Amino acid sequence: MMLYEAIVVSLIVIATVGGAELLGLTMLNRPIVIGPLVGLALGDVQSGVIIGASLEAVFMGVVNIGGASAAEPGLATAVGTAFAINLGGGAAIALPLAIPIGILGLQVKTLLYVGVIGFFAPVFDRLAAEGKERAIIGLHYGAWCLQWGIYGLLPFIGILAGSSAINAFVKAIPPVIMNGLNICGGLLPAVGMAMLLKLLWDKKIYLFFFLGFVLVAYLKLPLVALAVLGAIIAVTIAQRDYQISQLTKKMENAPALATPSGSVNEMDSEEEDFFQ
Amino acid sequence: MSKLTNVTKDEKKMLRKMFWRAFTLYTAVTPAKQGASGFCYSMMPFIDHFYKKDPEKKKEALVRHMAYFNTTIPLSTFIMGIAASMEKQNSKNKDFDANSINAIKSSLMGPLAGIGDSFFWGVLRVIAAGIAVSMGSTGNILAPIVFLLIFNIPTILVRYYGTFLGYTLGSTYIERVYQSGLIHILTKAAGIVGLIMVGGMSSQMVKFQTKISMSMQGASVLKLQNMLDQIFVGIVPLLLTLLCFYLLNKKVSINYLIFGVIGLSILLSVLQIA
Repeated sequence: MMLYEAIVVSLIVIATVGGAELLGLTMLNRPIVIGPLVGLALGDVQSGVIIGASLEAVFMGVVNIGGASAAEPGLATAVGTAFAINLGGGAAIALPLAIPIGILGLQVKTLLYVGVIGFFAPVFDRLAAEGKERAIIGLHYGAWCLQWGIYGLLPFIGILAGSSAINAFVKAIPPVIMNGLNICGGLLPAVGMAMLLKLLWDKKIYLFFFLGFVLVAYLKLPLVALAVLGAIIAVTIAQRDYQISQLTKKMENAPALATPSGSVNEMDSEEEDFFQ
Repeated sequence: MSKLTNVTKDEKKMLRKMFWRAFTLYTAVTPAKQGASGFCYSMMPFIDHFYKKDPEKKKEALVRHMAYFNTTIPLSTFIMGIAASMEKQNSKNKDFDANSINAIKSSLMGPLAGIGDSFFWGVLRVIAAGIAVSMGSTGNILAPIVFLLIFNIPTILVRYYGTFLGYTLGSTYIERVYQSGLIHILTKAAGIVGLIMVGGMSSQMVKFQTKISMSMQGASVLKLQNMLDQIFVGIVPLLLTLLCFYLLNKKVSINYLIFGVIGLSILLSVLQIA
């Protein structure tokens, strides 16, 4: 039984985390996809979806594209969800397991990227210089198999070797800590949101963050409605910005006409005042 | 799109091949050259076609496209289209400077990664994930499917049309877009949607309820949570999110933040605050 789980979870990790890189970063590697898949394989889709959703909220700010990242959310979700479903603990169990696993996963991923696949860069160059197209294609896919074959061993070994230890550990958690972990599930998304804010924060438009917050906190707007509302506001502002830029261009091109369109200048500075 | 009529049937076939191959751009990503092998692999249909009779030039082209390449993947096919149209010029025109192909590639990949990262990862993915998380937290099993569709339908359309657009419009077009300032307007608009969504999600996903209440003569009269809600609904999630953001800007590592929040939660539980 444990062997079945270890094999299935490692196949899911290879297909999603590796698959995302093979299929153009199509977001297969996100917790909201992996949680339900693991749930499906272990016979509890409902729990898988709920755990996947709560881990997605925590890891939403973690994108392993360029820049620094904190953890590898895919492995974290796969192993965390598998243990949580086995032990019947839900997201409160998945979360404390997922975070250290995710950090370990990122270390291994980086190690493979630098220490194994990195050595193929000069081989690719040589093959290109020799015009060996077939060899390039073979190595292109071969490197993927090698990298994710090794990575897939992590969940396999982790579940086979760690199950009894983690089982005992989880059973030993006192209720007050368990309650703390439940609270943590509610608070941790703040870190994810902060990471997203870092990506998007801009002096001119930061007020819109508070608009979104108030619309949901007080008016209880569903996020679909919020997305539509946000798009309408953004399109309206973009149209106005475009008109302003066209007008400024016209004025620059025809300085003689600048006097009657002085009001445009005022509008421009008004806008700047508003966003500052 | 009217210029598409100038593209021959053969070229359309090759462009489609390139579009499919471009999915594997980062399949063998290396620290030194990022998506070099994927770029070269995607260009092969054109390289094979244009340099059919000249093996030396073909080798040169393979080496050329095995150079460092890194950009937001949905916009990669646009650059590939441009590179392919330049290879066509190079194969026909003896005076064409082949070095300009890589010069254009490297001058485009930075700016396109800038706008692409903030739009596709910062906004589109966040909207998709936000909607999926609020569905999934109630156990709706459609959540992952909705997530993948919202993110991938626009992304794959951009990839598909980008391939043709790059090949037909070429590099002058993107320069014009840059000079017109349109990129700034689009980046700002995308940022507005992103910030509204992150604000809404901070309110919906960051959850806190305190248990503290004062009781007089056995009956509880003052619930701290009610008082907090009267000041501002969701004041604790909002302040915690802003605190994390402040600390991130102070270069506090994300892992410290995560462990800090775990520690804080356990402390809140031990002190019976929540």
